[in-house]
Amino acid sequence: MSAFFSQLTSIGWRDVIDILVVSYFLFRLYVLFRGTYVFRVITGIGFLWVFQRIAAYLGLIVTSWAMQGIIAFAAIIIIIVFRNEIKNVLQAKDIGAIFWGVSHKAFLTPEETIISSVYALAQKKIGALLVLPAKDDLQEVIRGGIPWRGILSKEMILSVFWPDNPAHDGAAVISGKRIEEVGAILPLSRSSDLPSSYGTRHRAGLGLSEKTDALIIIVSEETGHVMVAKNGEIAEIKDNLELQNILREHSGVSTGEKGARQEENLKLGFAAVILVVCVTGIWFSFSRGMETLVSLEVPIEYQNRNPGMELLSSSLNAVKVHLSGSGALLRSVKPDQVKVRISLGKAVVGLNSFTITQDNIFLPPGVILKKVEPQVVDVNLDIPVKKELPVQIDWVGKLAEHLILESAKVEPEIVSVIGGSKVLEHISTIYTEKVPLDNIDKTGRLSVNLALNPASLKVAETSNGKATITFTVNRREKMVVE
Amino acid sequence: MHTLRRFLKLGNFFIGCLGILYLAAGSPGAFAQDSKDADKKPAIIQAVMCEEIRDYEPHNIAAVFSIAIGKVYCFTSFNSIPRNMFVYHSWYRRDRLITTRRLSLKTPEWSVFSTIQLREADKGPWRVEIKDNNSRILKVIKFGITE
Repeated sequence: MSAFFSQLTSIGWRDVIDILVVSYFLFRLYVLFRGTYVFRVITGIGFLWVFQRIAAYLGLIVTSWAMQGIIAFAAIIIIIVFRNEIKNVLQAKDIGAIFWGVSHKAFLTPEETIISSVYALAQKKIGALLVLPAKDDLQEVIRGGIPWRGILSKEMILSVFWPDNPAHDGAAVISGKRIEEVGAILPLSRSSDLPSSYGTRHRAGLGLSEKTDALIIIVSEETGHVMVAKNGEIAEIKDNLELQNILREHSGVSTGEKGARQEENLKLGFAAVILVVCVTGIWFSFSRGMETLVSLEVPIEYQNRNPGMELLSSSLNAVKVHLSGSGALLRSVKPDQVKVRISLGKAVVGLNSFTITQDNIFLPPGVILKKVEPQVVDVNLDIPVKKELPVQIDWVGKLAEHLILESAKVEPEIVSVIGGSKVLEHISTIYTEKVPLDNIDKTGRLSVNLALNPASLKVAETSNGKATITFTVNRREKMVVE
Repeated sequence: MHTLRRFLKLGNFFIGCLGILYLAAGSPGAFAQDSKDADKKPAIIQAVMCEEIRDYEPHNIAAVFSIAIGKVYCFTSFNSIPRNMFVYHSWYRRDRLITTRRLSLKTPEWSVFSTIQLREADKGPWRVEIKDNNSRILKVIKFGITE
């Protein structure tokens, strides 16, 4: 437990941002795709991924491999099969809605569906009898119902009570979001003091209300009036708001639209918390898992060099960086994600020694620096100067024995060279590239390149880095042997 | 009396100093002449690299020499030599001084040479700087040593 808390306290601000960014990204996916098939499939893939990780951890090679394949395949399937759904979600909303908007549910509650259906029927003067059970069991009271179990919708209710429908004379039993039965026969009320304008529907509705705690909505075929029967009493409903209140009271929902919104916000908040917990768990499994050590050879990057100076040489081009962290994290670290940077802002002309510290090393989040080898780097800086230097030919090979190369002239005789002042201080000649003698058998001319050593030297713009050699070859005069 | 003797001694010393100063002041022309001679450079008539010196003349003058010949000579010939003096032949291989030879010149014309023994490791570009007493470079001869 104490280890858990010590890990918790070791989280830095970068880690918190890391967790929050991923959580928010997943939360946005949830907000955008909730209620769609895409979301269900993504959730399924998420579960598959968890199983795959568990299988990999347990060493179930084939299972892990199969799950990986399924996940990869499912990801492609999502994009292909649900492309229209994804397109609709992304196109229908503006950029703001994608990144931070929350669209509340647009679909109707069962109560709203019932109210709109009832008043549509009343407007058309189509008689209807809707039964909304409460706690009492209606099976023993009502008879002849046709099992329906259809999803509740306005169109469905209208079609059930449409005059040509064989079941339109009976009652429809609605439970939750479903129409459970249609064409049900309700017990008739034996009350004798009912107004003469009440027909069989009213009597049937009142009859059921006398025997059960169900709520019955009656739409009169003759007048189009809407009436509600409950607990042996029948009353006319003046408007849809009154009906809404009665329905809510019956179903035990006391909150209005504001309450529904609060409930939805609660759901979103709960989803956000769950996501943050899950991402934190995944983050810990990645960054604080089993500790692993790796060594990387990282090139040194020199920064902030004074433009007037030139980097002549450094004792090191790369350092060995020893890193630790979770195995999963270190496996994903690429060498170019680790940087070793040394600022030459305060460097002076000549030799500068820098000690490589934690501040010089930039690592991906969650990776810890253990050691760096070697720790000191010597950097030689110089100011570039221009110097005029004579050119000399660098002959190699062997001239034929009977020949003698009497003279050789190189053009240009002098070149301007740009390089570090310290380097040029010790250079008094620029040599040509090696010129072979083996193929020379007569007087001639050659074009050769200049060999600039060290490579940091540059020939000034006035020279093109080439030289022309004009040479004279003659037959050798025999030597006198003493 | 004693004081007078001391005064005379001091006077003799003072006269002696004046005499030295006079001698020094009387010879500025000669001093300037020496200085002029010292500034004068001998004129180079010929400065070449060769394989052999025969009858005080260079033979097989070349710009490239094979190590197979064993030796290489730097021959220099001067005139207008202002006085007996020395010249120096400084041998460099790839900008690195290998050896310096001091050679004596006599008025009015004189020829001198220096030589080095060639070894396998001597292959590469060479130069000989010919300098006077004051380390002034009179001439540079460039050449190569090859297989």
